[in-house]
Amino acid sequence: MSKHFLALVLAVGAATSVQAGDIDGLARTCNNCHGVNGVSAGPSMPSIGGLSEAYLKNIMMEWKSGARASATMTRLIKGYSDDQIADLAKYFGSKTWAPVVQKTSADVLKKGKDVTERCETCHGDTGSKPDDELTPKLNGQWAKYLELELMKYRDDGFKMVHKKMSKNARKMDEADVATSAAFFGAQSK
Amino acid sequence: MSLNINRRDFIKAAAAASGAAVLTIPTAAHAATKAKVVVVGGGFGGATAAKYLRMMDPGIEVTLIERNKTYTSCPLSNEVISGHREIKTLERGYDGLKKHGVKVVFDEVTGIDTGKKMVKTKGGKSFGYDSLILSPGIDFAFGAVEGYSEAAAEQLPHAYKAGPQTLLLKKQLEAMPDGGKFIIAVPPGPFRCPPGPYERAAQVASYLKHHGKAKSKVLILDANDSFSKKGLFEQAWKALYGYGADGMIEWVPGAQDGKVVRVDVASKTCFTGFGEHKGDVVNIIPPHHAGKVAKDLGLATFKDKWCEVSPDSMESKGQKDIYVIGDSCVGGDLPTNNAFPKSAHMAMTQAKVAVGAIIAKVNGLPLPTPYYVNTCYSVVAPDYGFSVVHIYKVENGTWVYVKEASGVSPVTMPDKSPVPAIYRKLEAEYANGWLDNVLADAFA
Ligand SMILES: Cc1cc2nc3c(=O)[nH]c(=O)nc-3n(C[C@H](O)[C@H](O)[C@H](O)COP(=O)(O)OP(=O)(O)OC[C@H]3O[C@@H](n4cnc5c(N)ncnc54)[C@H](O)[C@@H]3O)c2cc1C
Ligand code: HEC
Ligand code: HEC
Repeated sequence: MSKHFLALVLAVGAATSVQAGDIDGLARTCNNCHGVNGVSAGPSMPSIGGLSEAYLKNIMMEWKSGARASATMTRLIKGYSDDQIADLAKYFGSKTWAPVVQKTSADVLKKGKDVTERCETCHGDTGSKPDDELTPKLNGQWAKYLELELMKYRDDGFKMVHKKMSKNARKMDEADVATSAAFFGAQSK
Repeated sequence: MSLNINRRDFIKAAAAASGAAVLTIPTAAHAATKAKVVVVGGGFGGATAAKYLRMMDPGIEVTLIERNKTYTSCPLSNEVISGHREIKTLERGYDGLKKHGVKVVFDEVTGIDTGKKMVKTKGGKSFGYDSLILSPGIDFAFGAVEGYSEAAAEQLPHAYKAGPQTLLLKKQLEAMPDGGKFIIAVPPGPFRCPPGPYERAAQVASYLKHHGKAKSKVLILDANDSFSKKGLFEQAWKALYGYGADGMIEWVPGAQDGKVVRVDVASKTCFTGFGEHKGDVVNIIPPHHAGKVAKDLGLATFKDKWCEVSPDSMESKGQKDIYVIGDSCVGGDLPTNNAFPKSAHMAMTQAKVAVGAIIAKVNGLPLPTPYYVNTCYSVVAPDYGFSVVHIYKVENGTWVYVKEASGVSPVTMPDKSPVPAIYRKLEAEYANGWLDNVLADAFA
């Protein structure tokens, strides 16, 4: 096969990803806030590429039905059909989780290890080994985002669904919230 | 703004992810050139278009022509005025685009020959194109407010293109005495960033409140009778700064003689139909229209101001193979206020639609389904933000606002109880993350 022909095939191959179905075009609108391939560049916005398909679908459907509160996503997700949501979950679920490792001090890491002991059974000791499909990865997720999520689980005015997670978040001391978030944000695997 | 971003770590992660992505990009050296696309304007719309064209089809040669070497984001520039943000955080260069293989040319486009399909620049260069994307943003109709001009903007800043103008307005605010009056003159819609002037009012008030100038006044003289996220802004103004004739912020709608028609630069006086208002700082946002390059080409067919495009592709209704995106274009249902807003978020989704259409055309494939999404965060205090979300679908050749989604952050909860403070805090934080992400999605 000539070099030129190969190049053409490759290039057309890339181009046909536009046509692979609606899903690529739809998913590209998520990039504005969640980054290319779902890797966020902004500390308060979560990376979503490589979370499990089941988790992604569940959270979006809970927002859509109104069972779960959110500040922004609820309004957005109501514009999509259940099928589109399933496709989006599959699309981002098929990406590789790309931890954004945020360095922190040895002191925070040490304290973080202690205060996240309770979290290990479900999230794994570094947040990378969730015990089931409905538990998100925390390693290399943006610490700022994790802190905001913990704030939501701890707030009476914010409707979250998962009872055990809420209970665990509420058992933490206020000061440990940022520490545990920084701990998970610093983990590569 | 001391967030723990570590750019290098992020880039490492992003690179790892793209390695595993569907979009495996052969290097430019191996790909044959299938088509030439020229992009005019390297703002949110143009930069996104140039990057995504290269990312999605490296067989396309992309040249981006931009006047300035550094781009300054307007989004969140109101926080620079109040001192809550450094202008550096809003600035981006074009090295990221070069890494995608975009040919970046710093020059000004002075003319377009649609017959020869050729773009000409001030620097005397010519660039041929198969498809042309115009994303030149806005230019001001200086004559529309009598007495206002480019020179007058050095005394009465518009600060509606971010950069030196933003810093000038900040300096004037800082020099304003307690008890002074800060006037914001809002032009008739549609204008760039519908919530922008009202967010600015809050940011200015925030500065005044926290710098011992609480006796001062922020007066909004508006050519319009309503505005974006009005309920949310009024609620926030009232709670944080005082709103109304006795509060710090006062809003005068068009119907109550709010439209500024003339200014006297020397005395810093704004004249409306019947009244006059003297300010200590006067921020005139002049009426504006599609960027000059698009307008000069005769593409601004909507009220001689904005460019009409096809919703399937963003292709100009007047000129084949020319795509107009971002603030320069217009679409949707204007009379019911369901037209799409002139926002960075919208400019970027339009860019992605145009890119999809061009790639389909180049490869002889059918047009992909276009998706339009907008989000605008407004930040009225460091821990107080809210947003509006719009989704549009295309039906019968026009944009239809999807009512099930869309809408603004709640003013009250469904049972009419107050919205818990955590919602406002979250959206103020999300605005920061949104900015980082849109800047990365367009420029990195
Ligand atoms: C105060 C303020 C706050 C805002 N806040 C938000 C917000 O929170 N969220 C949001 O989504 N949007 C916001 N916006 C709106 C946003 O800035 C615009 O909608 C967005 O920049 C539009 O992108 P664009 O590509 O159309 O134009 P621009 O970003 O303006 O880019 C146009 C580019 O083209 C270049 N150019 C023009 N003519 C030529 C020429 N002849 N030759 C070469 N180069 C040329 C210019 O130098 C410029 O770099 C805000 C705007 C303002 C003023
Ligand atoms: C305007 C910005 C914006 C856009 C566009 C956006 N999101 Fe989000 N997303 C957010 C914010 C903010 C959150 C945090 C939750 C909230 O809304 O309060 C979030 C959270 C999420 C989460 C939860 C992640 C986790 O770890 O629990 C998922 C999943 C998600 N978004 C999916 C999507 C998909 C899919 C799209 C595209 C259809 C999308 N988002 C588009 C802003 C956005
Ligand atoms: C009983 C199992 C369990 C324990 C223990 C647990 N979690 Fe969770 N966690 C979950 C599940 C399940 C979710 C997703 C819940 C949902 O959908 O709301 C979650 C979600 C989270 C999230 C949100 C992540 C995101 O992407 O939105 C954070 C942050 C978090 N947990 C932190 C912790 C911390 C810190 C601890 C320890 C103090 C902890 N968790 C203990 C099960 C657990």
